[in-house]
Amino acid sequence: MTDFQTAKRAVHPAARMYARECLEGKLDRREFLTRATALGVSATAAYGLIGLAAPAARADTPQEGGELRIQMDIRAQRDPRTWDWSELANVCRGWLEYMVQYERDGSLTPILLESWEANEDATEYTLNIRQGVTWNNGDPFTAEDVAHNFERWADASVEGNSMVSRMVAISEDGRLRDGAVEVVDEHTLRLHLDRPDIAMIVNLADYPAAVVHPSFDGDPIGNPIGTGPYRPVSHQTGIGAVVERNPDHTWWNEGNGAWLDRIEFIDLGTDPSAWVASAEGDEIDMLYETTGDFLDIFTAIGMEQTEAVTAATLAVRFNQESPPYDNRDVRRALQMAVDNETVLELGYNDQGVVAENHHVCPIHPEYAEMDPPEYDPDAAREMLEEAGFGDYEFELISSDESFHTATCDNVAAQIRAAGITINRTILPGATFWNDWLTYPFSATSWAMRPLGVQVLNLAYRSGEAWNETAFSNEEFDETLAEANGIADADERREVMARLQQIMREEGVLIQPYWRSLFRHARPGIHNAEMHPTFEVHYQYYWKS
Amino acid sequence: MLLFLARRIGVMLVTAICLTFVVFYLTNLPAKLETLAKTQAGTRISDAEVARWLDRHGYNQPMLVRYGEWLGVVPGWVREEPDGTIRGRCVGVRGVEAAGERCGILQGYWGHSTRFRAPVGEVIGARLGATGMLMLWVLIVMVPMALIVGILAGMREGSRTDRSLSTFAIASTATPEYVSGVLFIALLASSTVGLSPLLNQWGLMDAPVLFQGNARSALEGITFWNFTLPVMTIALYGMGYIARITRASMTEVMTQQYIRTARLKGVTFPNIVLKHALRNALIAPFTVIMLQIPWLLNGVVIVEVLFSYPGFGWTLFEAAVNNDIELLLAASVVAVIVVLLTQLISDIGYVYLNPRIRVT
Repeated sequence: MTDFQTAKRAVHPAARMYARECLEGKLDRREFLTRATALGVSATAAYGLIGLAAPAARADTPQEGGELRIQMDIRAQRDPRTWDWSELANVCRGWLEYMVQYERDGSLTPILLESWEANEDATEYTLNIRQGVTWNNGDPFTAEDVAHNFERWADASVEGNSMVSRMVAISEDGRLRDGAVEVVDEHTLRLHLDRPDIAMIVNLADYPAAVVHPSFDGDPIGNPIGTGPYRPVSHQTGIGAVVERNPDHTWWNEGNGAWLDRIEFIDLGTDPSAWVASAEGDEIDMLYETTGDFLDIFTAIGMEQTEAVTAATLAVRFNQESPPYDNRDVRRALQMAVDNETVLELGYNDQGVVAENHHVCPIHPEYAEMDPPEYDPDAAREMLEEAGFGDYEFELISSDESFHTATCDNVAAQIRAAGITINRTILPGATFWNDWLTYPFSATSWAMRPLGVQVLNLAYRSGEAWNETAFSNEEFDETLAEANGIADADERREVMARLQQIMREEGVLIQPYWRSLFRHARPGIHNAEMHPTFEVHYQYYWKS
Repeated sequence: MLLFLARRIGVMLVTAICLTFVVFYLTNLPAKLETLAKTQAGTRISDAEVARWLDRHGYNQPMLVRYGEWLGVVPGWVREEPDGTIRGRCVGVRGVEAAGERCGILQGYWGHSTRFRAPVGEVIGARLGATGMLMLWVLIVMVPMALIVGILAGMREGSRTDRSLSTFAIASTATPEYVSGVLFIALLASSTVGLSPLLNQWGLMDAPVLFQGNARSALEGITFWNFTLPVMTIALYGMGYIARITRASMTEVMTQQYIRTARLKGVTFPNIVLKHALRNALIAPFTVIMLQIPWLLNGVVIVEVLFSYPGFGWTLFEAAVNNDIELLLAASVVAVIVVLLTQLISDIGYVYLNPRIRVT
C-alpha cells in the first residue's frame, strides 16, 4: 500500500479539531488517525496535521514468490454479510476486497474507495469510487456495484445479516431506505443518513463488509468473483483452504502487493499444543493468533512475536433473562467479588490492560475516566445473602480455548474465595458457540471496534442480534442514540460517562481486561504483524 | 453356507436400522435442530430466524416422516418459495424435475453433510480412505509384532523370555493412547526437549526434530517421518493385548498331549512350535485381530484428534459436536457394516484354521 493520490481538498473542520485535541494530549495519536481518516483526510495529511511525517514506506523491497502456510480455523463458508468469525473473512480477503481497510496504527486506508468526505454533522457522505478497478470476470467496478452492496448490507430479511445494525442510518423497515444511496455518476456515490453516524466509514472496514459482485449467490468459494488478486483453489471445513494468485486477472493495485504465489490455511483444531508440534515439524509458517502460555513456547522454537494493543476483551457476562441473573443485586455482588487486576495477572499472564466492567476502552477516543470498579468480597457475600441467593450454586461456562478457561477459572476462584458456591463448566469450542447468546453466565471474546460506541451499539442496545446479556435499558438506549450523533470527542465523552456508569450500575458484565493480541511467524515473513482486528491481509505479505 | 451368509446379512440390516433410528432420534431433538440452524445460518441469529430456517429446510415435519425420507421410503419434502423457486430434498441432488420423488439410502443418496457442506458419500469416502491408510500401517506393524511377542512368550511358560515379554506387553496395553502419544511427541518430536536436541548436538541429524508431531501432511503424502508417531501410538496399545491373547493360547496348546507326543517322537523344538502348535494357537488371536479392526475405525478418535489427522474418527467427532445429522447416520451405518463384516470374515476364517469347526 504505497501512496494513494487523492485530489487536494479542504480538510474537514472536525479533523482540525481532533488534531488540536491530539496535540493537547486529549486524544492519542492512534485515535486521532482513526477519526481523522474516517472523515476523509488522507493518512499522510492526518500525520501532517499533528506535525509528524507519515511513516516511511518500508525499507526493504518486497520479493515475489513463495508459499505461506498459516494455522487458522477453517469454518464452513457463507454469505459475507452473515460472517460471524474474522477467520471466515481472512480466507476470502485475497479476492473479496473492502471499501476501506483498518490499519495497525488505527488509520484507515482507502481500498475500493479513492477518497471520501463527510459533511459538517456527519449526515451526508460522498464516496469517490476507485477508478480502473475490474472484477476478475472482466466487468468494470462501478458505483452501481457499491450501491448494490449497500442494499445487501441493509437487508434485514436475511438470517444472521450482521451488517444491518451498522446500516441503521440508511435503512428503513428492514431494508435500504429509498434515496439513501444516491448514484451521482459512474464513480461517485452519495449517502444520505437520517441521523448523524460517525462510524459509517469505519463500519465499511469491518470484516462482514466484503464487497461482492452483483451476481453473487451466497457462496464466496464456489462463485469467487471479486476484485482482488487471488482466487480460491480448495476449501475444506475443519481441514484447510488453499488460495493462489489469479493469473487471469489484472489487479488494480498491481505491483504493490500479491507477492506470494500461494497461501495455505491449515486448521489444526483448537489445541495449541498441536500447533506447536506442527510448527516444530516445519508444517506451518505463521499462526493466526498465539495466546497465553504458548507465547513463550513459540518464541523458544524460533518464531518471531508481534503484538497489537487493542480494545479486544473477554466479556464474562450475565444473561439477564436467566434467573438468578435477572436480579441486579446478584450481578453486582458477583462483580464485586472479583478483582480484575488479579484476573489479568493470573488468568491472562498480564498480557493486557485492566478493564472496568463497562466495555469502553481507554484507547477509545470518547472514553470517560472512571474510578476502578469496587472490589469487596465480604460485601459481595452479604449482598448475595440479602438477595436470597446465599446458598445458590452458580455455574460459569466457558469454551475450551486456553485463555477463556484460565480467565474463567480465576474469576470462579475469586468468587469461591468470597464464600460463594460456583461451579465451572468447559465446553468444546464447536459446541460452545452454538448457544453463546443464551448461557446464563459465560465468557465471550469480543474483537475490538475502533470507536467506543460501536460495541455498545452491537452488543448492549435492546433487541440487538448480538445482545448476549439481554440488557434492555431505555435510558441506555436513548443516551447511546445521542452519543452516536456527537462527532466531537469531548462532547461525546460527557454522554459516554453516563453510558459507562449505567453499564456499571446495572452490573452487566465482569470485564477483567483488555487484551493485547499476539501472533507468531517465522523470521523473514514481512507485513504479517498481528492486526488489532485479527485481519490477515495476505495479499500484502511477502517472504524473504 | 449361503443360508449362514443370508442370516448374517439380515442381522446386519436389522442392526443398522435400529442403530440409525436411535441416532436419528437423538440428533433430531428440538434443541439439537436449533443448534444445527445456528451453525448453518449464523451463531448469533434470533429464535424467529431459527424457526424460519428450519421451516425452509424441511426440518419441521414429524420425525418418523423425515426418517422415512432419509431411508427413501417416503417422498422427499418440497417447498415453493414466494419468488417461485422450488426447493426440496431431492432438488439439490437431482434437479427440479425430481422434486417430490424419493431420494434416500435406498436410492443410493446418503444425504448432505451440514458441517462440511459436501455430499456425505464424498466426506465418508475420503475420510475412510485416510483412516484406511492409518489402519493398514497399524496392522502391518502391530500384528507381526504382537504374534512374535506372544509366541515367544508362550513357547515356554514361566521362562525369563516369557516374564520380560509379558511385562512389556502388559505395560504397552496399560498405557492409553493419550499418554503414549503425548510421550512420543515430547520425546521424539520437539526441538527443545527429548531426543531431537541431543541428536542435533551430536551432529547426527540436520532436521530440527526426529519425527513429525503432527500427521496433517500425511494427507498429501505418507512418509516415515510424519506417520511413525500416530502408527506407533495405536500399534503399541493394540499390540500388548493381542500378544497377551496369543501367549495364553500358545501356552495352552503347548500343554496338549499331541505336543508331548511330538516331543517324545524327537521332533525339534522349532518344528513343534511352527508346524504343530502355531496353527491351533492362532484361532483366538485371529478373532481378536478381527475385533481390532472396528476398534481401529471408531476407537482412533483420540489419536486422530491428537495428531490432527482427519480420518473417520476425527469426522465422527466433528459430526457429533456439530450435530451433522446425515453424516452421523452414515457413519453409524458404516460402523455397523464394518463390525459385522469383520465378524463374518473371522467366522469363515475359523473353518480354515480348524477343520473341525463347521459354518451352518
